[in-house]
Amino acid sequence: MAEVLIPASPSEAVSLYGDGAGTTVIAGGTVVMPEITYGRLTPGRVLLLSNAGLDGVTIDGTTITLGATTRIDTLAALGDQVAALATCADNIADGEIRGQATVGGNLCVSQGPEAPRGDLQGVLLALDATVRSAGADGERTEAIEEFLSHRAGRLVLDVSFERPSASAFSALDYPHTHEYTVLAVTGVRAADGTIRLAATGLAGTASRLHAAEALASDPTAAGAAAVGDCSFADDALASAWYREQTLPVLVRRVLNQLEESA
Amino acid sequence: MNLTVNGVDTTIESGPLTSLLDVLREELGITSAKAGCEQGGCGACTVLVNGASRRSCLTPVASIDGAAVTTVEGLGSPEHMSPVQQAFTHHYAAQCGFCTSGMMMAAQAYIEGGGSDDHEAIQEALGGHVCRCTGYVKIIDAVAAVARGESFDLSVTAAGTAMTNIGGMA
Amino acid sequence: MKAVGARVPRYDGIAHATGRTVFVDDVRIPGTLWVKAFRSPVHNAMMTNLDTSKAEAMKGVHVITSESVPLLEYGHLSALGIPADEPLLAKDEVRYLGQPIAVVAAPSEEAAMAAVAAITADFEEQPALFDVRKAFDADAPVIHDKGNWYTHFEDEMDRRQIRKGNIEEAFDRADLIVQGVYRPAAIEHAPIETQVCQVVPEANGRLTIYSCTQALYFSMGVVAAHLQLPLNKLKVVGGTVGGGFGGKVDTATETMCALLAQKSGKPVKWRWTREEEFLCSSTRAPWHMEVADAVTKDGWILGRKMLTLHDAGAYSRFSPYGLTKHSFHHTGAYSIPNLEFNGYVVYTNRTPTTAMRGFGVTSVSFATETHMSRIALELGIDPFELRLKNANRIGDTSPNQIPYTDPSTVPTILAIADAVGHDLTPEYAGMTPAPRSGDLLPEHLVGQLGNPEAH
Repeated sequence: MAEVLIPASPSEAVSLYGDGAGTTVIAGGTVVMPEITYGRLTPGRVLLLSNAGLDGVTIDGTTITLGATTRIDTLAALGDQVAALATCADNIADGEIRGQATVGGNLCVSQGPEAPRGDLQGVLLALDATVRSAGADGERTEAIEEFLSHRAGRLVLDVSFERPSASAFSALDYPHTHEYTVLAVTGVRAADGTIRLAATGLAGTASRLHAAEALASDPTAAGAAAVGDCSFADDALASAWYREQTLPVLVRRVLNQLEESA
Repeated sequence: MNLTVNGVDTTIESGPLTSLLDVLREELGITSAKAGCEQGGCGACTVLVNGASRRSCLTPVASIDGAAVTTVEGLGSPEHMSPVQQAFTHHYAAQCGFCTSGMMMAAQAYIEGGGSDDHEAIQEALGGHVCRCTGYVKIIDAVAAVARGESFDLSVTAAGTAMTNIGGMA
Repeated sequence: MKAVGARVPRYDGIAHATGRTVFVDDVRIPGTLWVKAFRSPVHNAMMTNLDTSKAEAMKGVHVITSESVPLLEYGHLSALGIPADEPLLAKDEVRYLGQPIAVVAAPSEEAAMAAVAAITADFEEQPALFDVRKAFDADAPVIHDKGNWYTHFEDEMDRRQIRKGNIEEAFDRADLIVQGVYRPAAIEHAPIETQVCQVVPEANGRLTIYSCTQALYFSMGVVAAHLQLPLNKLKVVGGTVGGGFGGKVDTATETMCALLAQKSGKPVKWRWTREEEFLCSSTRAPWHMEVADAVTKDGWILGRKMLTLHDAGAYSRFSPYGLTKHSFHHTGAYSIPNLEFNGYVVYTNRTPTTAMRGFGVTSVSFATETHMSRIALELGIDPFELRLKNANRIGDTSPNQIPYTDPSTVPTILAIADAVGHDLTPEYAGMTPAPRSGDLLPEHLVGQLGNPEAH
């Protein structure tokens, strides 16, 4: 029988989480619950975040902060702030799953059995978001790129980013609402004019497309360059070959959309 | 833990990580929500939690302690069916019936949220629900009819309250 | 026909809409044990050292293996004299991933999963075959103790064959030979209600079986045979199916649950997970069909040679029946007077295949219709007119010599032409299914005519 802890505040959540050793975190439950049901995961210690007060969207000037347990469907309302985030969120699963799944869960979800997961990661990478998390060495705030590279043993508290001057999102259509993202590209023009690009649906976590960013003024060249920054998953949703062929198209579309919005 | 299930205050004995689906089916004997996939993919287990449609298979019961839960049994009875139930009956929106409870709960949330009879909007609202008998047209017709506030003459479609009962068990 | 076009009440409409319909999983019997299976983790292997002792030592756990089954092999079509080739539970070898080896009943779902996890066996893996064409190769590894294909058609032939007319003459006379290979894939039935069953041992010695079967009497016969019980010891309760589409014609769970109910003396329930449904339940068969048609420049099909390989999966189940239906329909909706058809039920290491919505016939419809379009393209003939010209008419005969009394091919094609706005010449637009005459009764079709009155 698992020990189930239900913290009633963020600080209680942090203290109960401790160094995270042997602790399974359940936020929305959309990923962890089937693992338990199917007997693939028998947790010893569970931190249930439903009542931890880690949800909510804060807008402070140009800084937007998403609490870890903010539901995905909440992001749709941010369309006038960050179009790409709202579009991406609206593209995830179905309305009921979006009403249950969380931002923090999306950042922490592991590679799925049949496809890459974590649809929001690309958008948050392109936004150059920072992640505040707790764990063995206490609280830490770091760039999302760093967080994604060593996220085990961390409890996400919130994610922050600066409102961009423009953003665009383009994804491959997928056959059913419950498929994970086959491939998606987000482009952001920051307030200072910098262009950032990132892709989701690759192998493992999402990736920044640095080579493409350097050629952002030439969408076709940027698309071709993007391939070099990525490794491509070969899975049930699409072959690596297919992802490699379509990535340049999505990069081009996103850059053209950014151009149009200027 | 406590839940208000179909208007009745109920103490829950199951463990905190028990799915709401198992609590309803195994502890409370409320069987309209179905275990179609137990991983959020089919929609057959959908119920209302505080008015919002939710996958009961993905919901650890401790995460909704104190909530109000509504299942199809709480929408209406054979003698007093809700508009959504009447519409599903009148439009033959149930074929085998296994996805029907989940479809109706999503439809109920859509209607309560002020949903229109726009077919695309209905498809989006019901997009997480799979009907393998592929009766989607009739299901969408039924929801659209409720959205338009239509009334239904069940004397030509329902004709009594015949029940499907396995082995005569009610 | 008073119901056609009228609103008629559904006997289960209100029950469905109010959540009152009692599906098998909704039957509530106190003290019911949960059932789970120890399944093959590999596609093809010899199995040794099956050890269920740790599971059997667990509190309240009951286990069955091949040794628990009074009659281990009994086929779904055994009642029709078709020999069995599938053990209820794997004994010395496994032939598909997910094949059941041992089945447990335990006081809770968690306890049943723990018991399955405590069962062990050694598997010596063998080469596995997943492509029906490769399994038919002369040098393919032999994956079935009876050979790589089923050998028990009439007179113990190893194929279902049809010969009609004079095929060599037809090919000699042809202006053109049009060939094609057609390979429709497996399809999972994916009912929203997974395979499920409950079995209750009654005080009077009978077993009550709550089943989601689509074929109640098949299931009853199969359970009785495996258990070596007279039918009056079984009460099978069915009729409420949460989607089947053919997949619930198999007796997937009932027999094993009946054995566990006998062994434990308690009610048992087995509800497959969605993953089991996808990985272990039967599918619609993949097929490999090679078609060669002898055609004339003006669009007559004089003859057809066809080789069909029906992927049975690991065991034959209903496949011989499916292939037989297929053979009767192998000209589709068209009259082809000279035929040479050879069809084989071939074993692979896929999950066994079974019935699904018109099985045997949908595959050949796909092949034939695609092939008709291919012929039209090669000849430069309107594909509607090619079809109408060769369409079955009253008095034409099927591959197995049955005269058609009311073939609907002509009106169907005309309706399609109308629906898609395809213009036809008056000669074709006014066509009916009436018996062939004049230009539509060329010499090569005379010999195949039958008498519909005599049928």
